[in-house]
Amino acid sequence: MKLQVIRQRSLWWTISSVIILSGIVAMVISWNQFNSPLRPSLDFVGGTRLQLELDCTQPDTCNNPIDVGEVRQILAEQNLGSSSIQVLDQYAISVRTTVLDVDQRTQLLTALNEQIGTFDPQATQIDTVGPTIGRQLLSSGLLALIVSFVGITIYLSLRFQLDYAVFAIIALFHDVLITVGVFSILGLTIGTEVDSLFIVALLTIVGFSVNDTVVIYDRIRETIQQDPGRNIDDVVDDAVNQTLTRSINTSVTVLLTLSAIFLFGGETLKYFALALIIGFTMGAYSSIFIASTLLALWRSRFGQPISAISADPSSSDDG
Amino acid sequence: MGRQRLLLAVILALAFAAAVVIVVVPVRLGLDLQGGSQLTLQVKTTEAVPEITPEKLEAVQQVVENRINGLGVAEAIVQTVGEDQLLVQLPGVSDPGQAERVLGGTAQLDFRAQRSGTEEQLAIAFQAQQILLAEKERIQDSGDEEAIAQNQAALDQSNEAIAGFFDRTGLTGDMLQNAFAAPIGTNSWEVGLEFNQEGGEKFAELTRGVAGTGRTLGIFLDNELLSAPSVSAEYAETGITGGRASITGRFDAQAAGELAVQLRGGALPVPVEVSEIRTVGATLGRDSIQRSIYAGLGGLLLVLIFMVVYYRLPGLIADIALIIYSILTFAIFSLLNVTLTLPGIAGFILSIGMAVDANVLIFERTREELRAGKTLYRSVEAGFYRAFSSILDSNVTTLIACGALFWFGAGLVKGFALTLAIGVLVSMFTALTCSRTLLLVALGFPGLRKPRWFCPNLPPSTSSQAGATS
Repeated sequence: MKLQVIRQRSLWWTISSVIILSGIVAMVISWNQFNSPLRPSLDFVGGTRLQLELDCTQPDTCNNPIDVGEVRQILAEQNLGSSSIQVLDQYAISVRTTVLDVDQRTQLLTALNEQIGTFDPQATQIDTVGPTIGRQLLSSGLLALIVSFVGITIYLSLRFQLDYAVFAIIALFHDVLITVGVFSILGLTIGTEVDSLFIVALLTIVGFSVNDTVVIYDRIRETIQQDPGRNIDDVVDDAVNQTLTRSINTSVTVLLTLSAIFLFGGETLKYFALALIIGFTMGAYSSIFIASTLLALWRSRFGQPISAISADPSSSDDG
Repeated sequence: MGRQRLLLAVILALAFAAAVVIVVVPVRLGLDLQGGSQLTLQVKTTEAVPEITPEKLEAVQQVVENRINGLGVAEAIVQTVGEDQLLVQLPGVSDPGQAERVLGGTAQLDFRAQRSGTEEQLAIAFQAQQILLAEKERIQDSGDEEAIAQNQAALDQSNEAIAGFFDRTGLTGDMLQNAFAAPIGTNSWEVGLEFNQEGGEKFAELTRGVAGTGRTLGIFLDNELLSAPSVSAEYAETGITGGRASITGRFDAQAAGELAVQLRGGALPVPVEVSEIRTVGATLGRDSIQRSIYAGLGGLLLVLIFMVVYYRLPGLIADIALIIYSILTFAIFSLLNVTLTLPGIAGFILSIGMAVDANVLIFERTREELRAGKTLYRSVEAGFYRAFSSILDSNVTTLIACGALFWFGAGLVKGFALTLAIGVLVSMFTALTCSRTLLLVALGFPGLRKPRWFCPNLPPSTSSQAGATS
């Protein structure tokens, strides 16, 4: 099997554009609905979240599944009518409210314990995030994202050349945009929220996806050094195909583990794993179909001479 | 070959040592895994204190530690975060309500005078408290929650009783301008106090009242007695005037420093606000750790099988290298005292992905060289040599992302960045040394020197040639 990435490049570019555009549309709709391109969890906007599970070892607690209406009524009595309530499985609920102080929270917990049934304190999860902390989490996350982009650009321009770095970054934006877009759609359709782990996932995607691009670029650079006169389109096509098995195998092994975590892992890591699955898949796709074809187009249009500054692998010590 | 054998011995010794470390030094589990409460406290600026300096933050930390001590939670941790935040970790606490009530608010430092006629009672109460404190020290890490709670209740009672022997004088922390530890002579330390004018006058009045009577003045932080110095008779006429005083006693440098920081913290009029609380029940944490670890292990098992099926002999060797990799990485977690959180586990599992990638790069390269007709030994060497620049570049870019996360992230994010970065660094080492050494040692056995165990479907001519010359 040999992939003709160069010849079919307009196809790849169209596919990516369509996915990215639909993501952007979703983000615009989200912006109108909750003032944010993605459905934010309380990590970013502040609030209190209570996750409670009935203690079924107590007599008569788990006779009936929890009734959302009943919970809503209790919340309304405490002037928390606008809170969102979710029944997790039959005997567990998750309630998200505005920021509650100790007394309000204790009052709510007492009311729930009295009217719904005894909850197991050992299976409780309570998160309260003040609004300032939320903004801080968001801005520090975005800052980390920007700094890593800059760092990667500088490193790649030093190890390769500036045009390599620029297209690697474009591919990164592609991967990050698609992941964000998919989560925006998920936020609109099934109510998936993004928390600070989502930013972690984005940064990991950045790290891994540039990885794939670098491996192909490394091959392109090597081939150009061996045979400087060769047509860049052929060089890129060859490089992609020579590294294709590696790209597939590496993605398969990482995706195996991630899928296991997504399907069977704990609740906290589920969407983290999903973000990584989307991002890594896109990372492999974009290095093969986007980063390399863009580089070939650029080089064949503006044919930069290959200067001798590109690092030579033999200069590094391989132990 | 001698060098390879030596390297092999070194690697095996390392792996063995790492395994011992894992057994001896347990990895610390984050609160999201063992259950507990984590509170972020925001130290607020006021008009009087427009800026929070590191010294001021340390002073507030001391106050907060003081309050936490009163809660009787085993292994509680208070750390400073950034410029104006404190992170409080309370393992095993599933209802943070009590902690929240105690931690918020401004520190209350005040100076009181002992009531006359209570000298003997105070001495007795004080002795009883010392016994309770010694007991607390002893059972703190025992994990016996009931005993700790009982001890704490007794301590609270004793604090209250002691506070009952003193009268407030109106001399409060905001009138204390500074407190510092200073050496006197060679082995002894004292704690110096400086009051503002109003404080100086009140202090003179207070000391005049108790000087030479055998009664003490009591320094209270959050209604708990910090120190009860007596005032010598020479001040009975005027009291200690001039707004300056020093507390002497059997202080060593550490004790004097601690008291001074507590006094400074108590004097700071900065409110502390609880701005974030994360609480995970113990069974919930255990549940999510188990599910995620089983899922991760299941996925890894599939990866190990995939490697053997696809890459054959090198795949098997890569699997051994990966197992050594996991042992080494975990040992480093233990040695560096990394707190393992759920995202941290995810970071570790991802770093295994990176380690696999290095091996895949090398073996693909080896296969290419084999197909190009090179001998087995040369192909393996070339595989490692040529894959190196790809491995280096891709790992450095991941490390850059980790660095950004570690630098700007907080809490859970930091844990993830740290475990991923450690993993990436160790994976470079194991891929380039472990896999290589093991593979070269394997090539030393003639029975294993079969190209088809490295690459299926080799053209027959190259295959026989490679076999003959290697």
